[in-house]
Amino acid sequence: MRQIAFYGKGGIGKSTTSANLSAAFSEMNLDVMQIGCDPKHDSTRMLMHGRWIPTVLEQMYEHKELKTEDIIYHGFGNIRCVEAGGPEPGIGCAGRGIIATFQLLEKMDALFGDVVIYDVLGDVVCGGFAMPMRDGYAQEVYLVTSGELMSLYAANNICKAIARISERSSAKCRLGGVICNAKNMENERELVEEFAKRIGSRLVCYIPRSNAVRAAEVNCMTVIEHNPESEQAEVYRNCAKIILDNTDLRIPTPLALEELEELARNYL
Amino acid sequence: MAGCTLTGALSVACFIPGAVTVVHAPRGCAHQTFSMLHAMMNDANTNITPEIMVSGLSDKDVIFGGERCLRQALDRAAEKNPDLIIVVTSCVPETIGDDCRAVCQEHAYAKHILYIPTSGFLGGSAKDGENAALIGLADLADPAEPIPGTVAIIGEKNLESEVEENFSEVTRLLDLLGLTVTVRFCRNTDIPTLKKLGTASCFILRDERSYDAGCELGKKFNRPIIPEFPRGLSGALTFLRETGEACGISSEKIESAVSEETAYQEDMLSKFSNLKGSSVFLGAELVKGTFAVAREAIKRIGMTESPGSAEVRLPFYLPVGISGTMKMLYLWRRKILHG
Repeated sequence: MRQIAFYGKGGIGKSTTSANLSAAFSEMNLDVMQIGCDPKHDSTRMLMHGRWIPTVLEQMYEHKELKTEDIIYHGFGNIRCVEAGGPEPGIGCAGRGIIATFQLLEKMDALFGDVVIYDVLGDVVCGGFAMPMRDGYAQEVYLVTSGELMSLYAANNICKAIARISERSSAKCRLGGVICNAKNMENERELVEEFAKRIGSRLVCYIPRSNAVRAAEVNCMTVIEHNPESEQAEVYRNCAKIILDNTDLRIPTPLALEELEELARNYL
Repeated sequence: MAGCTLTGALSVACFIPGAVTVVHAPRGCAHQTFSMLHAMMNDANTNITPEIMVSGLSDKDVIFGGERCLRQALDRAAEKNPDLIIVVTSCVPETIGDDCRAVCQEHAYAKHILYIPTSGFLGGSAKDGENAALIGLADLADPAEPIPGTVAIIGEKNLESEVEENFSEVTRLLDLLGLTVTVRFCRNTDIPTLKKLGTASCFILRDERSYDAGCELGKKFNRPIIPEFPRGLSGALTFLRETGEACGISSEKIESAVSEETAYQEDMLSKFSNLKGSSVFLGAELVKGTFAVAREAIKRIGMTESPGSAEVRLPFYLPVGISGTMKMLYLWRRKILHG
């Protein structure tokens, strides 16, 4: 079983990327599970054709005896979709919610398949949101970023978490690489490529900005499902193949803030 | 007394008749804290059943926020129609960011709710909790003109076994100066009386443990503070002079009180004249300051100290005035005369 986590800044396109990669994996006849680890709980929406599935945390406190069908829903390509959920903004502890979700999934013995994808909010770097990297869950992490400074900043922060967690002898989590979800900025590919190199990793995939993504989203589908013949669908398929073949997993070396800023300036 | 701020705050809040204390915490925190208080109350022969309620934060409340839980606990407390609801908090609501103050302010019973942000271990130790409770409760009292001849006692240790004996000793000394204790802040004192804190002309602190609160209250009401109850024999005379001066008592009256107390001490110490010439070895000093009190008593009685002599225990409390000193001497006498 491959357990893969996608981390990145909020709004950078993690869920779109994760859902399209899950769809691409399912096309390869792999048994796929996608777990959204964001209180926004929209990670699997495109796989579920626009349906907001009940979140684990909602269900956990509404049912005394939870069954797997209460929290696991089958979407496109028979992908098993789960949303952790979380509190309303401004109250409670979303990080604790992620931990509680993992404890429940573990108790239900629900984590299985050929590929398990964790789609995780990367802005919050507390222990709860690091849970997918710990305890033998995701063994490879991919950073989803654009060339924007704040997006790189969030990716760099996640590198710090990976580096810290990797110090433990029992830790299996490593960085698989960087995915550039482009915003169509000038020199964006070169910048993200250089960032990946500086943190001791590599750019595994460049996803150009495309109207195909927008068109698929307004139709509540992944690009793979909505427009399977498109160039963008092929980009996701290639990316999925690269990730599947990737054995080059490393412990990253995060950059100092000054170095990160200088890097961004160099590619203006 | 060990533990987090909850223990300290409850050791104050539990001694206010007519008040209900809501502990915004998981049940375990309240249970653990109250178990400790209950054991200490038993030890001190204190027979009160404080009204404590717990909001009972669960894992669900940690994730989704505990404000609803606090609101429900306040509803249950308000149903009892108490004179005051005191809200204290553990680390959990502080960690997850519950806006407890806003919940208290928005509640229908808000006028009778006093929020004390203790925050469990995040707020510090039991001592910090005691001080936070004293400072918070002082908000109940309105500014007032001082009434001459009155004093307030601040921060009595409600759970120490000698609390009433110590209070009696202090009131006996204050009597010599013509002063009356009008507020015990907060020991078995109802809320209307607590509200009169500002009318006392001087604040007498139990000891350095309540120093932070004492300073805050002294500043708030612009009153002089006496930092502690009298330590042993000469401490009682110093206490008379300092308190008398702070309360504006004439120097003649103060010196008359000092003379009267000196004579009283001599009379009381004469009961131990059969110890004169005995030699003792002082045991470990468990509470800072007891060595000095013990050595003064040894000197006044005509005893001596030497390493090979009978070892006598120093008390686990700082002897207050002649009363506390005599209690220590009774134990010594039994040891010296009867082994």
